[in-house]
Amino acid sequence: MIEFKGVHKWFGELHVLKNIDLKVDTAEVLVVCGPSGSGKSTLIRCINRLETIQKGEIIVNSAKVHDSRTNMTKLRAEIGFVFQQFNLYPHMTALQNVTLAPMKVRKVSKKDAEDQGRYVLEKVGLVDKLHQYPAQLSGGQQQRVAIARGLCMRPKIMLFDEPTSALDPEMINEVLEVMRNLAREGMTMIVVTHEMGFAREVSHRVAFMDYGELIEIAPPGEFFSRPKSERTKLFLSKILTH
Amino acid sequence: MKRRTGNACGFSLDPWAPRTLRKLMWGFYIEQLMHSLPFFLKGLWMTAAVSGLSLIMGTVIGFIWGTMRASRSRIVKALIGAWTDLIRGTPFLVQIFIVFFILPEFGIQLEAFPAAVIALTNLASCFICEIVSAGILAVPPGQREAATSTGLNWFQQLRYVIMPQAMRVILPPLVGQYVLLIKDSSVVSAIGVIDVTRVGWLTVQRIPQGLLVFGLVAALYFVICYPLIKLSSSLEKRMSVGYSREKE
Repeated sequence: MIEFKGVHKWFGELHVLKNIDLKVDTAEVLVVCGPSGSGKSTLIRCINRLETIQKGEIIVNSAKVHDSRTNMTKLRAEIGFVFQQFNLYPHMTALQNVTLAPMKVRKVSKKDAEDQGRYVLEKVGLVDKLHQYPAQLSGGQQQRVAIARGLCMRPKIMLFDEPTSALDPEMINEVLEVMRNLAREGMTMIVVTHEMGFAREVSHRVAFMDYGELIEIAPPGEFFSRPKSERTKLFLSKILTH
Repeated sequence: MKRRTGNACGFSLDPWAPRTLRKLMWGFYIEQLMHSLPFFLKGLWMTAAVSGLSLIMGTVIGFIWGTMRASRSRIVKALIGAWTDLIRGTPFLVQIFIVFFILPEFGIQLEAFPAAVIALTNLASCFICEIVSAGILAVPPGQREAATSTGLNWFQQLRYVIMPQAMRVILPPLVGQYVLLIKDSSVVSAIGVIDVTRVGWLTVQRIPQGLLVFGLVAALYFVICYPLIKLSSSLEKRMSVGYSREKE
């Protein structure tokens, strides 16, 4: 479903992605972890071309993302993206946030979009917050609206860029719970996160990145108990101690 | 504009003349001024027409330029930036002379009215362009990324996500700029457009009471500008409340 072939990316002089080869299958949940600045966010931002790559190929749903002639607008509608900072539209209510794209991109009628929006917001546990503005919601609630916004486009893929990093600890779980349910329903997901509990429990594979390289990728059991690379071992020892 | 020196402000009167005579003269001048009131209103109408037309067109062009200036294309950005800097850095009087007196040298002959509207529209566009692009750039980039990732195209992003947020930043200074531009429109009197300032110049030659005549001119500008000044400051108050509930 998602395939990286020899992908390189530079920010000016900085080589942020080095020869990435990666394949994610339909209904697979891949967790990407690694120290900050290792290129994991950049990796998933390349998938819907929020960032462009300089070398290599990215193929999503048989569409060539690396090819500048590919119409990304259509492809992006198939890919939900959840940001660390939520990025909800502050001038719109929760319901307006989730219905905008279905109405404008998919040309769904207002009524159908709102019915669906209500259904999805209910699914993420926010049925009583439909008409609240983002500023009136807690961080965890905002992030769940952001996930609902992605889901309302009925995406084939969901990408999560550190979805819980900006949240207070007591709110992390409500967001992870929504993501667990999604994984159970068979959504194809790539999740950049430091939540190793989530990785162990939900993911099919865990990838470790460092200095723009994909160091290791393995099923969680193997990844956590028998990491192959020294750098993975070092990283795990640092984050699993507390 | 022939006028005898020294009487523009009404000092040609003999300072030792009896008070009663001076009182009489004042009454006479005020009556004269009342008689030329229709002339003043005509001038006010011309001021309103020149600035109204220019502001409407300048707003449209300014929003287009401002959006382009806030976009990614470097060449477009540099071109618009250079033009707005040039216009903002030169006196409007000179610009209007260039349009009216120098363009005919290149075969573009213009009446005073269209010349005035063109020059003022251009000036308005440049100032409004800066206000609009600053407003657009004040919207956090994450908003555009979120809109992009849901599949909205460039125009939809601008229309539904960026502009509604940018307008909060744009509106108060925009209305303030309108006030400045309406006042700048007085410069068009220099090329013979009979606006309210020009009416003042013409009237003061018949009624040598500068204070009286230009007091009326000022009052007429004030009548147009004051509501806008009030509007601008109330917008500023309203907009600054906005999303203050928002958590960072």
